[in-house]
Amino acid sequence: MSLLENLAMLQEGSSSVTSSALKLFSMMPPSSGFGSPHPWLKELKSEERGLYLIHLLLTCANHVAACNLEHANATLEQISMLASPDGDTMQRIAAYFTEALADRILKAWPGIHKALNSTRVSMVSEKILVQKLFFEFFPFLKVAFVLTNQAIIEAMEGERMIHIIDLNAAEPAQWISLLQVLSAHPDGPPHLRITGVHQKKEVLDQVAHRLIAEAEKLDTPFQFNPVVSKLENLDFEKLRVKTGEALAISSILQLHTLLALDDETMKRKSPLLLKTSNGIHLQRFHPINRSTFDNLLEKDLISSYTRSPDSSSSSPASLKTSNSMNTEMFLNALWSLSPKVMVVTEQDSNHNGSHFTDRLLEALHSYAALFDCLESTIPRTSLERFRVEKLLFGEEIKNIIACEGLERKERHEKLDKWFMRFDLAGFGNEPLSYFGKLQARRFMQSYGCEAYRMKEENGCVLICWQDRSLFSISAWRSRK
Amino acid sequence: MDNREISNGFLHENTTSSSNENPPILKRKRNLPGNPDPEAEVISLSPKTLMATNRFVCEICLKGFQRDQNLQLHRRGHNLPWKLKQRTSKEIRKRVYVCPEKTCVHNHPSRALGDLTGIKKHFCRKHGEKKWKCEKCSKFYAVQSDWKAHSKTCGTREYKCDCGTIFSRRDSFVTHRAFCDALAEETARINGSTNINNSLLGMGGNNIGNYNIMQNSLVPNIGTHFSSIFKPISCTNHETTNQTSRSGLSLWMSQTSHDTILANNSNLHEIHENWVFGNKFSSNNECQELTSSISLPLVNNNIDNKDSTTSTNNLVSVPSLYSSQHQSQSHHQTTSANMSATALLQKAAQIGTTSTESLFLGSLGLRCNSPSQDHGNKFCGVYGSSSVLTSSDLGSAESYISGELSQMPSIKRRRVQNEEGVWGQTRDFLGVGGANHLPQFINRRMDLI
Repeated sequence: MSLLENLAMLQEGSSSVTSSALKLFSMMPPSSGFGSPHPWLKELKSEERGLYLIHLLLTCANHVAACNLEHANATLEQISMLASPDGDTMQRIAAYFTEALADRILKAWPGIHKALNSTRVSMVSEKILVQKLFFEFFPFLKVAFVLTNQAIIEAMEGERMIHIIDLNAAEPAQWISLLQVLSAHPDGPPHLRITGVHQKKEVLDQVAHRLIAEAEKLDTPFQFNPVVSKLENLDFEKLRVKTGEALAISSILQLHTLLALDDETMKRKSPLLLKTSNGIHLQRFHPINRSTFDNLLEKDLISSYTRSPDSSSSSPASLKTSNSMNTEMFLNALWSLSPKVMVVTEQDSNHNGSHFTDRLLEALHSYAALFDCLESTIPRTSLERFRVEKLLFGEEIKNIIACEGLERKERHEKLDKWFMRFDLAGFGNEPLSYFGKLQARRFMQSYGCEAYRMKEENGCVLICWQDRSLFSISAWRSRK
Repeated sequence: MDNREISNGFLHENTTSSSNENPPILKRKRNLPGNPDPEAEVISLSPKTLMATNRFVCEICLKGFQRDQNLQLHRRGHNLPWKLKQRTSKEIRKRVYVCPEKTCVHNHPSRALGDLTGIKKHFCRKHGEKKWKCEKCSKFYAVQSDWKAHSKTCGTREYKCDCGTIFSRRDSFVTHRAFCDALAEETARINGSTNINNSLLGMGGNNIGNYNIMQNSLVPNIGTHFSSIFKPISCTNHETTNQTSRSGLSLWMSQTSHDTILANNSNLHEIHENWVFGNKFSSNNECQELTSSISLPLVNNNIDNKDSTTSTNNLVSVPSLYSSQHQSQSHHQTTSANMSATALLQKAAQIGTTSTESLFLGSLGLRCNSPSQDHGNKFCGVYGSSSVLTSSDLGSAESYISGELSQMPSIKRRRVQNEEGVWGQTRDFLGVGGANHLPQFINRRMDLI
């Protein structure tokens, strides 16, 4: 890549190339902010300010990791003079990352932390709006819908009754387009039944309303069953899957939240994995082969069944053996429903490292890409963009960096890890069809922003910004 | 008493013979709604009887009464002779009523209603004419008491959404709001008035088109419109041309933004008319026309950018090199003036190895040994500009523990000695030399194993 060559050239004469402003940095040590603001900071040009912010963020992270609160505080002070939620990309990113870091620091004083958050009201309508904006501003969900629907249609070839389970039924657009495709079926539209799972009843009501209206318009037989539940508490009976029916499962950005449950289970059970809060991660360090991994997991599962209910844990709900759900169990339960196809869309980033500094670094890259997406497509003064950045990305960043254990829900992992999990649960990868990929490609091209790219890997599709892979879409069938 | 047709005698037979709905557990379900008492007398009144309001009329003042008893009591006031009839028999015979309308569910004795007033109201409501109208909301009612009850609460408790829809229930209001277009419209109006830099750096190309479409697409698209991506275009061309002519006029009056919204709405429909294939580029051009003709005052952002454009160009020639390469040609938004965050991170990695490595290495540098590394002793590490690097980094990050750890300190020491330059003082100030800074972290890492 010519880019790399240029960078190599840069390295040759690096010290001479560094700008005068960077030399300025060296004159004034960054962490000296004991009250005296540096006026020169204001005059920094955007690029240098960006670099400086990166430097400061990492410095701060190190301080927090080393529990040097004084230094961390000083660094945060410095950053606060440069970062801003309505500045340029790097400034915005820095604003949210420092908020996350500060949140992390504050968690050491749970009383203060809780007090500061005691009057925080999170409005359901805001969350709904932000999800809608995410759908609109980015192509990710749209491409996911295209590929999911195509995979479902192909798997359900010839079926007259289709049952789809949507693990996050919030955006009716996906199923509306499916209804439209199905209504054009040469033999007449097959009967479609969708079971939508969501935490909020209002959302399901809206989705139901929209879909039923659409189905009536198209005159296709349609039924919507809402299931109000969190994924971890999902009662599979409520899904009402009939034996032998043609079932498809669509999971969009949901499964990673289950990984938080794995933490607790693993930590409690296996001394081998005790030191790290992410057992799966550790497996990769050791030259462990698959069967050993299986055994380990199995042992954990069995022992979790026989565990006594009064072992200490931060979450009493997961203590009861009957309630202890983890990813493995969930996937097994999905497998036992015998779906014809399961299409999974997940973030393709490694935000589940055991140490928060790893996560911070990874997140810095991923969210830099996401913020760049916004910068390239939405004007800076847009209130909607601010909302997405703050209420969606900001919250994710905070969760990734500041939270641990069960609280940390945003456990994004790379596709190869998901491959392993699905494989263990008895799923076999179903490569996405040529036609599906073609449709997705065409959509991306017509989207108009060339920086969005689509890669194919192992029969799965990765959606990237520039070269950074952000989301993965893969299809699975239950392997008997 | 006279007008009534008494259909008697088929109690048990009918109720039991109809027993698809009345299972043999009748006795337990007495008098529950929907399950009439099997012992009761089933009465079918004629429609005339059911709808009659005042059957008993006073001869003096012609006032009507529904019941004979009431009429008698009224006659007392006229000093007329009156007589109250007693109950004829001692036994209380339970009566249930069926609806005379044959198509009605309640026609069947098993679905008979237990109350005379009830059956009357039912008949009026379902099979009668709606004569009563609410003045406030023009809703019609057949039964006067329904109408009265409604008009008491009509308009008292209301939630109004900005789009004009009124709700009497709080929950449906809340749900509606979340999806309401009006919300989007309002914010788009605000955006339109404050939003400036569609032509931030005077750049043309698809980017601007993107802007407009993306930004204004909010307007009609939150909620109903967007998800119906298949809607054909209602009116495209003339709206667009209107916009073009008007755009030169005012800076950002709400009209302008509104028109932009309209025009772009149609553009958006164009784009999404075909779910998979879009006409993006054609509509882009139109949008571009629109926006470039709107001249808006600069905001700080803009000014800063303009300045930094020149100065950055003076400073370093390389950043503009890779900032333009870094993104596709159409993305002028992030030029040398405003490097994208991704580009900044990469640059930080490059420059940063000399500058920030002491800090990065502590947390990151352990990943140095990515296999594709050809750049000497600089780590591209986590900042690898290609995805290949990135993914392998992660792999290598995790493999460091297994073997590379011993090598790390020596490599770092070498680097530390290498560079005295830019960040020297920084490191010192932080109180930790490069060497000192690392072990802390390494130790922590080792604990994790």
